[in-house]
Amino acid sequence: MEEEREEGGKVRALIEKATNSTAQEVDPRLLKAIKSVVRYSDRELRLAAQTLMDHMKRDHSQVRYLTLLIIDELFMRSKLFRTILVENLDQLMSLSVGFRRNLPLPAPPAVASVLRSKAIEFLEKWNSSFGIHYRQLRLGFDYLKNTLKFQFPNLQAHAARIQQERRERERRSKELLLKKFEMLKENFSSRKEEIKSTIDEIGECLDIVCAKEEFMPLGPIDDEDFEEFRSSELLQIRLDTLKEGQKVHENNDNKVVFDALRELYKLLVTKHLVSVQEGISVLVRVEVADNRVRDSTLKELIDIRNCLQSVKKKCEESGCALPNTTSRDDEEEDFWEEGKIGSLENERPIVPNKQNENLSMALASIELKNRTLESNNRGSNDNELLSLEGGETGTNSLRNKLLADAPVMSWGSFLNNWGSNREVLANQRGLELESHWGRVDYDAVIPAEKIAELNVHSTLYEEEQTEIQPCRAPLRKGGLCQRRDLRVCPFHGPIIPRDVEGKPLNQNSSKDEITLDSGTDLVEQLAKQAVKNVRERDKEVVKKREIDKRSLKRAKLAKIREHNDVVLRDAALASTSSSAAIGEVMEATNGEKLSARNKKETLSSMLRKKVTPKDRLAQRLLNSQVKDATVRELTLGEDANYREAFPNQW
Amino acid sequence: MWKEIGDREAGKLRPKSFTSRIKSNRIRTLQLSNHKDIVSPHRGSINSLQVDLTEGRYLLSGASDASAAVYDVQRATDYEAGGLIAKHKCIFVVDKQHESGHKYAISSAIWYPVDTGLFITGSYDHHINVWDTNTTQVVMNFKMPGKVYRTAMSSLATSHMLIAAGTEDVQVRLCDIASGAFAHTLSGHRDGVMTVEWSTSSEWVLVTGGCDGAIRFWDIRRAGCFLVLDQSHSQLGRRPQIPECSATNKVLTSKSLSAGQSSYTKPRTQQRKVAGGNGTKQSLVGRRQRLHPGMLSSQDRATAHYGAVNGLKVTEDGMLWDIQSGCNTLVNYETVRLQTSRPIQLATTQDSDLVFVPCMTAVKAFDVWSGKTSLTFRGHYEYVNCCWFSTQDQELYTGGNDRQILLWLPSRLIADEADEGPVQDQDNWSD
Repeated sequence: MEEEREEGGKVRALIEKATNSTAQEVDPRLLKAIKSVVRYSDRELRLAAQTLMDHMKRDHSQVRYLTLLIIDELFMRSKLFRTILVENLDQLMSLSVGFRRNLPLPAPPAVASVLRSKAIEFLEKWNSSFGIHYRQLRLGFDYLKNTLKFQFPNLQAHAARIQQERRERERRSKELLLKKFEMLKENFSSRKEEIKSTIDEIGECLDIVCAKEEFMPLGPIDDEDFEEFRSSELLQIRLDTLKEGQKVHENNDNKVVFDALRELYKLLVTKHLVSVQEGISVLVRVEVADNRVRDSTLKELIDIRNCLQSVKKKCEESGCALPNTTSRDDEEEDFWEEGKIGSLENERPIVPNKQNENLSMALASIELKNRTLESNNRGSNDNELLSLEGGETGTNSLRNKLLADAPVMSWGSFLNNWGSNREVLANQRGLELESHWGRVDYDAVIPAEKIAELNVHSTLYEEEQTEIQPCRAPLRKGGLCQRRDLRVCPFHGPIIPRDVEGKPLNQNSSKDEITLDSGTDLVEQLAKQAVKNVRERDKEVVKKREIDKRSLKRAKLAKIREHNDVVLRDAALASTSSSAAIGEVMEATNGEKLSARNKKETLSSMLRKKVTPKDRLAQRLLNSQVKDATVRELTLGEDANYREAFPNQW
Repeated sequence: MWKEIGDREAGKLRPKSFTSRIKSNRIRTLQLSNHKDIVSPHRGSINSLQVDLTEGRYLLSGASDASAAVYDVQRATDYEAGGLIAKHKCIFVVDKQHESGHKYAISSAIWYPVDTGLFITGSYDHHINVWDTNTTQVVMNFKMPGKVYRTAMSSLATSHMLIAAGTEDVQVRLCDIASGAFAHTLSGHRDGVMTVEWSTSSEWVLVTGGCDGAIRFWDIRRAGCFLVLDQSHSQLGRRPQIPECSATNKVLTSKSLSAGQSSYTKPRTQQRKVAGGNGTKQSLVGRRQRLHPGMLSSQDRATAHYGAVNGLKVTEDGMLWDIQSGCNTLVNYETVRLQTSRPIQLATTQDSDLVFVPCMTAVKAFDVWSGKTSLTFRGHYEYVNCCWFSTQDQELYTGGNDRQILLWLPSRLIADEADEGPVQDQDNWSD
């Protein structure tokens, strides 16, 4: 029996703990604990139902809210719990929805509205899940919905509607696909014809071009040349250029053919390829009864696509097709850059991709020149580099020495003219000054000294960053004070060196020790100490007297203050009809202090009204003095206006 | 249950006590029925409910939207949730649209006691209509001097067809269906008459309760009332006087009762006059017993417990109470809400050991003998106005301001799992 009672206390304590929180949700661990306790014991379950109903009666919306969440969890799970709860459903509803006018939901209002909407939502959920088993649920739902006209979220209907819409959409897109498929089937053959003719034409064009090209002279290939290129990358470049040379290039003779080819290529890429691609995607997605037609069509389409792609490639290789302009720009830039930094060891060898090769003739020729030039340069560069590396030790030591001497300068415009001694022509800087400012002397010169003067090296003073030591006084709650002040910490006094635990290192004593150690004349020391001691004692006496005096004064003041307080309170009591106000004020201040101390939000703190800026402003602006002043001000202004408007009237 | 059947089989139990035991068992398990719904077509609060006395099959309801409806409580009109829930829709409604319908709220709707061919409605529009059930036409119409609060017909009457009507007016009028005229006018009440009931033991005896707090017994064959129940006398000095018109709703009690028919009202005025009280309770009891030696045993008991009930009620709850009595006696009286003088309808079980009283949003079943609450039926969301107990089937019907008619049935002996419907109601622990 004892044990059972203890057990019984468990679920009650758990519920108590779970509902005593300001969180938006029940602590999941507690919830789980409640569920597991209740699951295996009907007694516990009954007790839980009772406790929960008791909690629903608490005069605090937050408690009710959390309780309702727990109720929902159990309600959805336990049949016994449902049967117990529906008996009192009207009470539960009036406590959570607050539909009875004489039983409104308690403060705080924000939580109360959440509670109401949650309760309505739960009721709807319960009704849809268990309504057919519990008449009470149906009654409550019906009453709230049809009599009180509460707005239910209608979650289920909502979800059903969304589902329905989605199905509708799917169906429509399927229809669309089917239609597309039909169309595709219809004009598949004609489309095929079209594509075929295009391909044929391209083939013919290519034939013509290639045939002409046979007469083109091939670039000379010398073995000697080859030998000059040492690195494989250079070899590659060379090969590329040769290949490029083999290509057919547009000239006056074959211009027409190239134009046609380009046209056809465009047609191929923008129309046929796209339509074939589309056809394939339609076929992949469509669902038709007859799969054979689809599969065969799909196969054919894929073949066509492959064919198209190979033709496209051929065109591109032949150089007739221009990739679109934007990409050309990019590549152009890339190209030059590659040429420039090509000398770096780990740079990838320059292998122009296919598209690059399609660059126009003019471009290619420039490139070619550039490349040959560069390759020549590179040869010499390499040599230099090698020699540099070889003489590394010698030059480096000199350089290092110089570097060690040289001051490090921050950057500035003066560096532009570093060491130059030239005069500068003042009026030859690209500004057209003629006829704006009268005659212009184009030979005007700024002397070198002036320039130097203008470009004097300036530096900014930079304060040295010193680290400010933390105060490190031990804190009551543990840890050390981390405030960084220069001299005095506002809380712990002057900043002094402290050990790891924050105890001050006694400098005096150490000093004393040192002096003692080092001091030779002990007697002298002792005498000094004695004198010091006597003086200190005198000082202490004086101080004590002063303190006594001060404390006396303070006591007197305190007495006066106390008296004043009493009088004031009496006056306040007399002026306010109830003494509740004072109690409230005191409570409020206490509460504030408390909350400031532990900074923790409690249930009662939720009930306290927060002072918003609006309240403060209202207090300021709506007190009677201000109001009077405003009215006065306004009437004055009106009078002034009136007098101004009708100066000849009284 | 099975033991009783065994006893009955063996002849240890008399048929009558067997049935009464079964019945009281069933009554004890009354609960809101999930499988039988009455779909109320009314758009106003339900003021009156009655199941017909002949077949126990047709339920008549009168509502404050001036409509009255009839339902078949034995055959459902349709089913819901896979046959789990039987819906009883009304067979017909007469409302304001009807050419001769009432204009204002119907306060009372009763069946003609002999068959279901007629029913009578009384309304706040000062009229009492007699309807032909089959044609739903008004066959007779009485114009009353004020709002009609309650109408009653005697279920015993063989020699008269009188409708007793309690109205705003101080006089109780008896309307004769046979002639279509007022047969009697009974004066004596000093205020409106809230409730009228015919005795279930004599066809000539009428009991009325008025806003003045008096309960009067009339013998319609003679002039004047022959008895006024007197609360103070009935106390016999045993119970402290309760302020009768206490500002709070708790009120008082009643008391009383007599054999056969009792009614109780809660007095409304502080000073209640006994007008021509020609007998105390005691004498009343004695007399009734003499008059009707063949009364049911329950009636005898009623008299016997009389003093005790008073004592208990007073000391223990001081709540609104009522009382009851013999069979099918309706007791009307003012509700706890003083400002709305609205009649409520009580019901009693056949052997009169329980009385069902609408108490705010719940209906409570009180044990007549002890005054203790034995059952509480919570289901309505607003005030309950009326209830009717069908003794034949042990079913309780309640109607309230929330426009619902709720049906309370004895729980089934065997909870058949089969008809749980498409979805089983079971535990569903996921963790």
